[in-house]
This record gives sequence, C-alpha cells and structure tokens, in this order.
Amino acid sequence: MTTRLLQTADLPHLLAAAAEAYRLVAPTREDDLIDFRVLHTPDAIAPHTDYINTRLSIKPFFFPPTEPLIAYQRTPDGIEVHDPPADAPATLLFGCRPCDAASLPIMDALYDWDTHDHLWFARRAATTVVAISCTTCDASCFCTAVGGAPNATAGSDLLLTPLDPDRFLVEILTPKGQAVVDLAPDRFASGTGDRDAPCRAALDALPPPLDLDAITTWLTDHFDDPHYATWSHKCLACGICTFACPTCHCFDIVDEGSYRRGQRRRNWDGCQFPHFTLHASGHNPRPDQAARWRQRVEHKFRYYVEKFGLRSCVGCGRCIRSCPVNMDIHAQLAEIAALP
Amino acid sequence: MSSPEQELRARAQALLESGQVDLVIGHGQGNQPEKTTPVFITQPGEVEQLVLNPFCHNNLAAWLTRKDIRRRFPRVAIVAKEPDIRAVVVLIQESQLQADTIRLIGVRIDTPGDPDSPCAVLPQATLEELQQHLRDDFQPRDLTPDQLAQVEALEKLPPAERWAFWRRQFDRCIRCHACRQACPMCCCDRCIADMNQPQWLDTSAHPLGNFAWNITRAFHLAGRCINCGECERACPVDIPLMTLNRFLARQVRDHFDGYLAGYDTDDYQPFASYKPDDNESFIL
Repeated sequence: MTTRLLQTADLPHLLAAAAEAYRLVAPTREDDLIDFRVLHTPDAIAPHTDYINTRLSIKPFFFPPTEPLIAYQRTPDGIEVHDPPADAPATLLFGCRPCDAASLPIMDALYDWDTHDHLWFARRAATTVVAISCTTCDASCFCTAVGGAPNATAGSDLLLTPLDPDRFLVEILTPKGQAVVDLAPDRFASGTGDRDAPCRAALDALPPPLDLDAITTWLTDHFDDPHYATWSHKCLACGICTFACPTCHCFDIVDEGSYRRGQRRRNWDGCQFPHFTLHASGHNPRPDQAARWRQRVEHKFRYYVEKFGLRSCVGCGRCIRSCPVNMDIHAQLAEIAALP
Repeated sequence: MSSPEQELRARAQALLESGQVDLVIGHGQGNQPEKTTPVFITQPGEVEQLVLNPFCHNNLAAWLTRKDIRRRFPRVAIVAKEPDIRAVVVLIQESQLQADTIRLIGVRIDTPGDPDSPCAVLPQATLEELQQHLRDDFQPRDLTPDQLAQVEALEKLPPAERWAFWRRQFDRCIRCHACRQACPMCCCDRCIADMNQPQWLDTSAHPLGNFAWNITRAFHLAGRCINCGECERACPVDIPLMTLNRFLARQVRDHFDGYLAGYDTDDYQPFASYKPDDNESFIL
C-alpha cells in the first residue's frame, strides 16, 4: 500500500481542487448539529477535531431516507411510466470515520443479494470515500468489540490519520483514492509514519473484542429467551437506532400522487416499528417489543452471519448515543457472551 | 437524614412490599455518568437500582399506556417528575388511564440537565395532593424565561422568515417518529401517520411529508402538551419541536379561558368537550 504525507494547511487546497471535480459531501455544522451535508464551499467543513462522530451516518448519501423508484403521468395518449434518473453525481465523501466506511462493504452484500440494487451501486460507483482515523472516542463507541478499529481501512478509498496537528498520514487504498491524490499531487509528500500511535488514546479507551462466535451460537439456541423481554421493556419503539445505524437497510415502498401523476418511492423503514410486520389480516408475527428487539439483535449478529458471513454492525455506537432511553446493545452483547 | 435517592427507594420498596403495585418504573444509571435509563422493578430488593439526579429525563408516564407492560403488570407506580404528573393528569382526563391502577412517586428536579440541580422527593402521596402541588408550586416555574423568549422571538419574525426557519428545520426530519414514541400524549393505537387506507400523510421524508407530519402532530398536541420536552430531546436531528408546541399551548391559553393542560383531572379539555354556548362563529 502506498502512503503519502499531507500538511493540514494544504487540506483546503485539496478540497478546493476536489470541488472542481466532485460534489463535496462532508460534516458541517448547522444549529450545533454536525452532520454530512453537500458542501457549497469547502470552508463550511467542520474540522475533524470538532466531532467524535456525526449524528447520522453516511448512509443517506448511498441509501437516501426517501427516493423515487418509478414516476407515472397520465397523458392524452395513455399512461407514461418512467424511471427517474439515479441521483448519483461523482461525489467526494470526506471526513467520515472508519466505522462508517466499514459499513459500505457490509451493505454491498445485502444490495447485491437476490437483486442487484442499481441505485445503491450507482452511488457506490460514483462516490470516493475519504475517512479520517479517530484519535478519541466516547462511552458509546465500540468498534473494537466487533472487529473494527479507529484506523481500520475497510470501505475507504483514502484514509487520513492525523500524525500531529500539522500532518496527516495518507493511505492510498484504491484507484479511486489515487485519483484524489492526483488532483493535487504537489500537495502530497512522499513518506510514511506510525499509523497506530495517533489512535492510541482511543484504542486504550475502547472495549475489548467480543466473542462474536459465542454470541451467534447463543442467539441461535435461545430464540425464546426471556432476556429479550427484560431488555426491551424500556424500548420506546422509536426506531432511531435503525435510522441512525449505518448498516440498517430496511425500506418501505409507497405510492404517492393522484389520478394524473405520481411516484412510487422507497422510504426508510425499521424493524422496531409495530406496523413493520403487521399483516393485512391484523396478525402481527412480531407482536411485542421483545420480538422486535430480538429481531434487531438476531439480524445483525446471526442472520447476517448465516447469509453473508458478515456481521451487520460496525460499532459506531449511534444506536446507543442517540437512544432516548439509553438502550445499550454493546452491554447486551457483552451480557450474552457471558451467558451459558 | 436520608438523601432524596434513599427516600425514593424507600417509597418504591414500601409500594412493592405492601402489594399496592406489581411494578415500579423509575430511572437507573445509564452507560455514562450523565445518562439514565428506565428501570423496571418488581421486587423490593431491587430498589437500589433507582437513581434520582438531574439526568432523569424520560417522562415515565409514556410507559403507563403500553399494553404489553400493563398486561403483565396491572398496577404500576412510576417515579413522576412534575411534567410526568401533568401527563398522567391529561391521560386520566382522556380516559386513557384508570387512576386507581397507578401510583405516583412525585419528584422534583429544579433544573434538569444541570449537574448541580437540587432534586427532591415530593411529600404529597395522592394524585389530588400532587395536583394541588402542581397548581400552587409548579405552574409559575413551568415555562422558563428562555423557553418563552424562543417562542416570542419566532412570533415576531415576518411570515416569510418564519416559513424559512421551519422549512430548514423540517428538512432535517428523517421521519423516524421518535418524537411521537417518546411523547406520553401520543398514545393512539394507530397513529394518523401509520394509516394507509386512506393515506392521510405522505410517509416520505420530503418537504411536503415532513411539514404534514410535524404540523399535524403539533395540532394534535394543542391543549394537551404538558411541556416535558421529551419529543425534542428524542429527536435525532435536533428539530426545536417544543417551540411549536409552546406556541400552540399559548394560543390555547389565550383563547380558552387561560386553559393549561395537566393541572386538574376535573378540568374540561378545550378540544374534547362541547358546551352549548361555545363560540361557533368560525364554523361555516
């Protein structure tokens, strides 16, 4: 793998050059909320030292909360139906954390399963991901517990690790990453550095790896375990965990419009909502929050493993951080790992 | 002298030991010092889990209408902050709760979220006494000057700027409906947002859908919102929902004889009651 060194002071120049070639998406601040937004000027970017992680993940830029699938219109000659063009401009997604980048290959497996989801893959192909390693973490982060790391490279095209306040170590991981370096080659000096030392404080504070195989086995053998009811009494079924999660991918398909014109749209949906599994007959196979919470844990740590050999959790901690009742999936997994 | 937290635990223990309730819902320690999480206590020996501190945010009245919990635990006590007591009052007014199946352990948190805020267990034990306490002691300090200033600042803006403000706020909405789930007043079996025959509201997180949802929810809370702020705290994208709710609460106060929700179970509810001499001049 090739490495380079980039002066922090050169970052605005690189982003200005990138803005010519790409749509820039990066964390910005709006009303004290740091989240990924389309940048109209590179200066609006929030410095990586201002956030441990963004409130929402990078998911909306690959799988938007709402998007049209089909549009129809009644004309004097009949009904016209067309596919709205995939909204997938060449994009540089700058400043995500390695956990978010790691979610992308996990989601690829799902979206390339029985149907090749052309909208997902159009955006994947058009997007270059530049991640920044974490030098700090908070009480909700648990990437190391599920196989990640504050400087993991999965899913990134470039990984920047801040060696000190003045310099980044740049790891060029893919041809797409190389193309970003080629935008302003003079700004990148040859050289390398210690990629782990800057992440030491985060690594020391993050939890130890969980025995994920033991957890998958317990989940397989304890489908009707009473723990699920105990854990889920407090759950409000608000579904923030699923919407904030970079690897939750469930959607609903709705028709909106009138006799004359309208759209069929794909909208985010989530397994924590009672009506997610409500049948037209009135029967609900997941009748209570215990069954719904079990679904979330089982899907991430058993079904996904059985289907794709992957776990659909990157340990970003958003489901814990944003939960209005402080539900803690990491603590539950640790509890499961210790159960017989 | 015992600490408020010890007093709280003793009250919960007494309710469980005497068999007056099957379950006490309170606040327990969360995953970090400034977080709490709801705890469900069925045994007197478990009351040590209860904490009382300025980070006890959840409005536990929201769990009193949960059918899966009430089926298992018919008689429930909650640790009720002053806004939580107001929520219980409205739920009783609306016949969503039977007063004789619940007990309240009233608590007071002077400035929620401030680590130095005093906390206390209220001496009043019955719902009647707690309502009297709300009217005498809590009502004057319910709406803080900051909260009022926010509403008034927005009211003063020209309509186009107010529209632009809410357009920007609602643009962030991802339609998780966490505002509804955290709200003790949102207890409909089927919310209008979940109905699809007919589809009253677009479920898409586009400007039309987001305006329709957030404005409809605010309307449905007019004269019912008890200012606990849980919707705004739950919102994952920081939409200032309470500004909207407080604005409507003031409209109701100004147009319906000074009505304030959640202070008296015997009060009439402006939008759920009818009087022959109601002013109907605006109905065509």
